[in-house]
Amino acid sequence: MEQTSTVLETPVSTPTLAFRGKGSELFSIQIVNIVLMLVTLGLYYPWAKAKNLQYVYRKTELAGSPFTFHGTGKEMFIGFIKGLGIIAVLYGVLFFGVFSHDLTIYAVCVLAFFAGVSALIPVAIHGMMRYRTSRTSWRGIHMGYRGTLGSIFKVYFVNLLLTILTLGVYGAWFTVNLRKEVIGNLRFGNARFSFEGDGGDLFLLHLKGYFLTLFTLGIYVFWYAKDIINFYIDNVFIEQDGKYSRLDSSLTGAQYLKLALGNMFIMVFTLGLGYSWVITRTLSAIINNCEILGEFNPDELVQTEEEYKNATFEDVADMLDIGIV
Amino acid sequence: MFEGKFYNGRTSKGMPAFITLEPNHIHIVWQTDAESGTEVWLLPDIHQLEFNDATTVLEYGKFPRQSIAVFEQGFRQALEQQYRGAKFLSSKYNSFLKTGVKGLVLGGLCLLTVAVVLFFWGVPALAEKAAAHFPEDYEHAMGESLYNRVLEGYTVDSAKTVALQAYLDALQVQSDFPIRVTVVENEVVNAFAMPGGFILVHDAILDKMEHHEELAGLLGHEIGHVQMRHSTKAMARSLSHYMLLSVLFGDASGISAVIIDNASSLYSLEYSRKAETDSDKAGLRLLAQNRLDPKGMVWLMERLNSDEPEFLKFVSTHPRTDDRITALNAHIKENKYKTAPNPALEAAWAELKGE
Ligand SMILES: [Zn+2]
Repeated sequence: MEQTSTVLETPVSTPTLAFRGKGSELFSIQIVNIVLMLVTLGLYYPWAKAKNLQYVYRKTELAGSPFTFHGTGKEMFIGFIKGLGIIAVLYGVLFFGVFSHDLTIYAVCVLAFFAGVSALIPVAIHGMMRYRTSRTSWRGIHMGYRGTLGSIFKVYFVNLLLTILTLGVYGAWFTVNLRKEVIGNLRFGNARFSFEGDGGDLFLLHLKGYFLTLFTLGIYVFWYAKDIINFYIDNVFIEQDGKYSRLDSSLTGAQYLKLALGNMFIMVFTLGLGYSWVITRTLSAIINNCEILGEFNPDELVQTEEEYKNATFEDVADMLDIGIV
Repeated sequence: MFEGKFYNGRTSKGMPAFITLEPNHIHIVWQTDAESGTEVWLLPDIHQLEFNDATTVLEYGKFPRQSIAVFEQGFRQALEQQYRGAKFLSSKYNSFLKTGVKGLVLGGLCLLTVAVVLFFWGVPALAEKAAAHFPEDYEHAMGESLYNRVLEGYTVDSAKTVALQAYLDALQVQSDFPIRVTVVENEVVNAFAMPGGFILVHDAILDKMEHHEELAGLLGHEIGHVQMRHSTKAMARSLSHYMLLSVLFGDASGISAVIIDNASSLYSLEYSRKAETDSDKAGLRLLAQNRLDPKGMVWLMERLNSDEPEFLKFVSTHPRTDDRITALNAHIKENKYKTAPNPALEAAWAELKGE
């Protein structure tokens, strides 16, 4: 009676991750983007970004199915304008200070600028995570971000204060705690994520990386970078129906060295035009070396998250150079 | 009929499905162990999905969307044939993707040209245009704060400053900005103009001068820089590069650091050859206006020339002083200058030199 199950029965998907993007394809998208941005004096930027993200997500696969980015240029344009407004006000204050007559105004304005930027960082992370996750789906199941602005503010400023008081030593714990907050609030349908890294471990990695890089006259820097990337990935856990699995990165120092040097050569010899290849090479090195260990079942995700379309902080995060996902 | 997977938007389970392309809709029959069903997808509600490859993914309807995934079997071509011109199939990106290597290389080269032209010419030119339209009081305020910052690095010779200001007051000057001069102690034969009418003169150049017409020429030259907004334009030019680069590399916080660090070094930016020649002419005009000997400009150049070390003449990007002298002489010959003694200026000059 082994044969009774129908021919149409789906084999259980294995949760493999893969990136199948090609530099040449991304490049052809970038060309169209840049031309349209030139023609529109840059106003096309949000649409260009949406296209890039749509391509990258479409070429990232889990268990053989691609992710989808649902964000649209229009949503991101509205966000872009609002974000630009916020940044413009901050820069207005800075310029006013720099070109003002007396030193007090100068000091106050510069302080206000940096205070504004540092307050904007948690707001931007929160807004970007809410938007980006809500607009990401896989087999129709959306991701989501459940964190509140209040809790990220608390985590951010308490840790920032401790980092300043310890002259930067606490920075490793800061990074880890911020990740715990952000990733801990990440949902993928009914699966939830958590970050289980330890600040002490990250601190030791930095310490080891710093000194070995010094002793090896810089050569160790690639292994150092590899260790940090793997630390961030390996500590991401997924809980699904009470069962746990985790991400695992097998990126090696030699692979990272090849990636980093290759990217550098591409950028130098193409005068930056090869940036598309840099992106696809980097994503394939990271995603193709990443797998899910454990009992994660990609066929049993259930839709749980609500729709959220506010993209205000998508670009603010970009302008502040915050890269979490 | 095509075989594929159907996802209902509620769970991630892929349900085996048979898909038929009907004239006005896509018909989907799905089946699992427990249930089965059919779906009708109306064309206008199918979402545009670009960048499909061997697997074609289509999504349908409102949140949460249903979707299908079909692996090859000619599904893509069948869609294009059946629904030619349908909204969900159109993509300017996909059509460019098909242009192949030639198109990409050509596109890339065009882009590179545009980028280079824009970076080295377009953006700086635009920044200059913008700088020329700065409100005057803003430019003056900006110049003043720069001036104060720059002066911190020098020792001011206040007696000579008073005397030089008196000389300037005796001159007939046309300027949009109130001109303020300051003499500082420095061995280099030089003078600077900052935005908004602030002029810095090294005492070495004053010591070298033998005729007051040279001084009038120097002031005329620097006032020319101010009047034609050369330093504001040069600042806008150099800032525009920082801004463009930081936008390209997505690092807006980087600009602030650069602006704060470099605000006070911006005053010493080099002007273009054309800016220098134009300011030389402005110097001549000032001499003519005050009925002073136009040779003052030429003497001034000779002072500069004598100070320049021989090796620098080869590497300097400045117009060579000899060329400037030739141009000045030609200009003097072309125009008739009437000179008359000016006792007020001579008195101020004597005061300045007497110190
Ligand atoms: Zn000059």
